[in-house]
Amino acid sequence: MIRAYRALLIAGFQHAAQYRVSLFLYVFFSLLRPIIFLAAWAAVVAARGGSVGSFGVPDFAAYYIGVTIVLHLSTSWNAYEFEFQIRQGRLSPLLLRPLHPIHYAVVENIVWKVFTAGALIPAIVAIALTFSARFPAEPWHYLLFVPSLLLAAALRFVFGWVVSSSAFWITRMSALNTFSERIGFIFAGQIAPLALLPGPLQAIAYALPYAYMLGVPVDILRGATTLEQSLVLMGGQALWLAAAYAVLQVVWRAGLRQYSAVGA
Amino acid sequence: MNFAIDLLSLVMVISTSVGAVLILFAYTPALGGWTLPQMLVLLGVFYIVQGVSEFVFIPSFERFMEHVRLGTLDFVLLKPVSSQFLVSVRHLKSSNLGQVVLGAAVVGFGLARLEALSPAAVAAFAVALLCGLVLVYALLIVLSTVAFWLVRVENLLAVYQAFLDAGRFPVDIYPGWLRITMSSVLPIGIAITVPAQAVAGRLDSVGLATIVAVAAAAWLFARWFWRFGLRSYTGASA
Repeated sequence: MIRAYRALLIAGFQHAAQYRVSLFLYVFFSLLRPIIFLAAWAAVVAARGGSVGSFGVPDFAAYYIGVTIVLHLSTSWNAYEFEFQIRQGRLSPLLLRPLHPIHYAVVENIVWKVFTAGALIPAIVAIALTFSARFPAEPWHYLLFVPSLLLAAALRFVFGWVVSSSAFWITRMSALNTFSERIGFIFAGQIAPLALLPGPLQAIAYALPYAYMLGVPVDILRGATTLEQSLVLMGGQALWLAAAYAVLQVVWRAGLRQYSAVGA
Repeated sequence: MNFAIDLLSLVMVISTSVGAVLILFAYTPALGGWTLPQMLVLLGVFYIVQGVSEFVFIPSFERFMEHVRLGTLDFVLLKPVSSQFLVSVRHLKSSNLGQVVLGAAVVGFGLARLEALSPAAVAAFAVALLCGLVLVYALLIVLSTVAFWLVRVENLLAVYQAFLDAGRFPVDIYPGWLRITMSSVLPIGIAITVPAQAVAGRLDSVGLATIVAVAAAAWLFARWFWRFGLRSYTGASA
């Protein structure tokens, strides 16, 4: 298994090196969205003359820097590829190989992360300085952030596969992906920090899995949670991960039985 | 069936965008001087502009780049019409027409909450929207024309799409570098903000005259640039 991973990683880096421009654009893309909402909240702060709840501009800056970091480190777009592979029947050769297709996805993700980090870090520093971001985090916040981020990434990955697995039944599942993504857009904490979601939206956000993929680790990173809150939230992450994994096992097996390449 | 699915995704995307605006306005009556109904008009214009470009320009230019790469643009150049016109409108992606319609609906939704518009404001809106579309078109054809030299430039369209996303808010809320980029080299910001300003009663005659002049200049530049680029084209048979 280790040898297989080593070979896949080497091939992956060689592959990624061919797409340097796409890579730069990807970094740019992933920064622009958080900046858009950071700017919008800065305008709200200006209109209210000082702060929104406990948030000033430096807090929003810290929040959206956290969003960028967590999104970047936890992203996987295998869902999109998966639809393509099913629709085109490209899954068939992958199933013949001795490794489960998920391993190829894991390697692909590691490669992208390492490759893009170099471009992301200077950009994040620039944003932090422009908006004088404030991180009131204690050392233990950073310590807890690591497992929280890993849980978030794992949850996002497994959850993405669950949604993608519907491609076994619906060949146009990108619509379902859009659906899931847009619910996440509201409830994961992209539009607003979880603490600022008005009324019932906040309760819904903590009940759905999306916040545990983004808003929760970001709040831990910027030091907005107490120790007890952090542990409870991470418990929520672990619960959702276990649930998503269990569902994936069932769906994947059922789906594989269902699979026949389109046209085959 | 695919059309229905695309339409459903579109409704989902637009309604969550409206939701985002509502969340922001839960904390303030005005954002950068824009009230909620005015902001909804702006969001509607954003989807109209994005919808038009994804309905006709983006699919056409994507095909155009492929023609350049494969050397098959010859067949377009042989036809007795303006080659610029032909590559700009040749391919349509009809599901994105829904975005234009829904964008118009969001504009109407915002308008219903504003006081009645004077005929002058309606005319100014129409003119400014047309100018905005011209600006976006000029930008896209310039970006596409670069294909004559660099051949593989699908990525440039991705730059456009990244910046377009920032059009969902008025361009004046952004930090300096972004605001300036979106009002000059990539005039997506003014293409969306100015028409919305016309409806919101925030556009004076000087502003309107300026965007008309800018759009005309962009049109002429794009035309010149296209012809300039075409000279560098070497096709399969050339």
